[in-house]
Amino acid sequence: MSDAVVLTLATAPTRPLVADCIAADRFTSLGARDIGQLPVTHGGRRARLGDFFTVTGERSATLRIAGDLTKVEGIGAGMAGGDLVVDGSVGRDLGRAMAGGRIDVHGSAGENAGGALPGAARGMTGGEIVIRGGAGAQAGAAARRGLIVVTGDAGPQAGRGMIAGTVLVFGRAAAGAGRFLKRGSIVALGAIDRPATFRYACTYRPPHLPLLFRYLRTRYGLAMGDPQITGRYERYSGDLAELGKGEILQWVAE
Amino acid sequence: MKIEGVTIEDTFAEAFTMRVARLIITGRNAKWAREAAVKLTGFATSVIGCKCEAGIERELTGDETPDGRPGVSVLFLTLDKESLPEQLIVRIGQTVLTCPTTACFDGLTLAPDRLAVGKALRVFGDGFQASKVIGGKRYWRLPVMEGEFLVEETFGMQKGVGGGNFLILAENADAALAAAEAAVVAMTNLPGVILPFPGGVVRSGSKVGSKRYKNMIATTNDPFDPTLRAITASQVPVGVNSVLEIVLDGTDAPAIEAAMRVGIRAACRPGVVAITAGNYGGKLGPHHFHLRKILA
Repeated sequence: MSDAVVLTLATAPTRPLVADCIAADRFTSLGARDIGQLPVTHGGRRARLGDFFTVTGERSATLRIAGDLTKVEGIGAGMAGGDLVVDGSVGRDLGRAMAGGRIDVHGSAGENAGGALPGAARGMTGGEIVIRGGAGAQAGAAARRGLIVVTGDAGPQAGRGMIAGTVLVFGRAAAGAGRFLKRGSIVALGAIDRPATFRYACTYRPPHLPLLFRYLRTRYGLAMGDPQITGRYERYSGDLAELGKGEILQWVAE
Repeated sequence: MKIEGVTIEDTFAEAFTMRVARLIITGRNAKWAREAAVKLTGFATSVIGCKCEAGIERELTGDETPDGRPGVSVLFLTLDKESLPEQLIVRIGQTVLTCPTTACFDGLTLAPDRLAVGKALRVFGDGFQASKVIGGKRYWRLPVMEGEFLVEETFGMQKGVGGGNFLILAENADAALAAAEAAVVAMTNLPGVILPFPGGVVRSGSKVGSKRYKNMIATTNDPFDPTLRAITASQVPVGVNSVLEIVLDGTDAPAIEAAMRVGIRAACRPGVVAITAGNYGGKLGPHHFHLRKILA
């Protein structure tokens, strides 16, 4: 057993590499050779994880991945536990339908981070995803539970159709954020292009946000400012085209 | 054994195993956290009449609380594990939920026994409540007229100790009160201990049962009532004209013992004749705090 399993990109994929076998909890019982034998799809053709990554370490719930992973899709998909740290940017479907554990990306992520499989009713059902950069469209789409933090800008329709959970965006949240959201929260520290089906409720200090921000500061070392921690937020209830029990909390700069 | 001329009787305090929870109440400032804590712990002096015993353990700075605001730590004890959640739900619902700016968190996070207090309180939200999982813990957000009340879903419960005590036997009422006050000051803010009675002091110590009334479960402690010295089997020494008791509850026996040590030493001052303790012959409570052993 090692302190961590480390995957280092040795051969850059030339086409989309679907590597949804990469999940921290799955590696707890696998040796380095077994990990290298896990199936991936490169441009629609079958391949092995070891064809692209060198594997160091084995049997650990802590996983680190390094390299330019913008063409690598499905990292952390279905993950149920453990810690996955990515040094670099990743492709689409990061943490798709994950159920637990923590994913910490030191870079940007493509579309559908924490989202659902095509046609599935639920996206992530637990765990945490921290993206230290921008996120593509539909981050947290159909999430049932869990937390997604985007320290950069979020693409269109972040949190689309969320059932519960939290999407926190430090930067700008593009059009359609929270559309068809049933419950759940979108916390916007920057500008947000709010759907017309959200209605203003009040401006107040949500008591759970200091807890969340202090946790993120402690656990991930994120630079949370006191103005955001102690500040006031506008609450918009929605999506009123759906259940209407969700919310957009938008920080009020004072 | 004597300390500062005060006799330490060769006896012991007999205490009981109880169930304890620790609550962290925070507020916009220390005033509002304290307001809630004072109401929460009101009428919680003794399980004999209040069904629970509670008190403020200590005040907390923002660095010590989950949400970074000033707070108060409260210990809450009952005799059995069933009544602890009942009391917590009723009391938090009426005193902390109602108090402006406050939030309520678990202070025994490592205790494996969990009480679904916040989970029960959530229904006050009438379906508009929402929960958030932060760092693996679930919190309930209850909409209230002020904004939102935040309460942790579960609170830890562990075995605690109730009924640690010592009696201050003094030449007069003023000396007894001064000694009791000094003891309380010395024991205030010690971790894991509360003094559930008014100002930390009891003037009406009780004995089990009654000599005259069959339905009374506790009546005046006549062996230590100076006014009854001439007509009962009194244990009040000559020269003693007033007796006050300090009762201590805590999270464990070492915490009680440490507080008794500090408190008794502080109570040994001019005008105090002796320090003794209440017990039932060692047959009822499993925790025995021998005064001379504690102070040795």
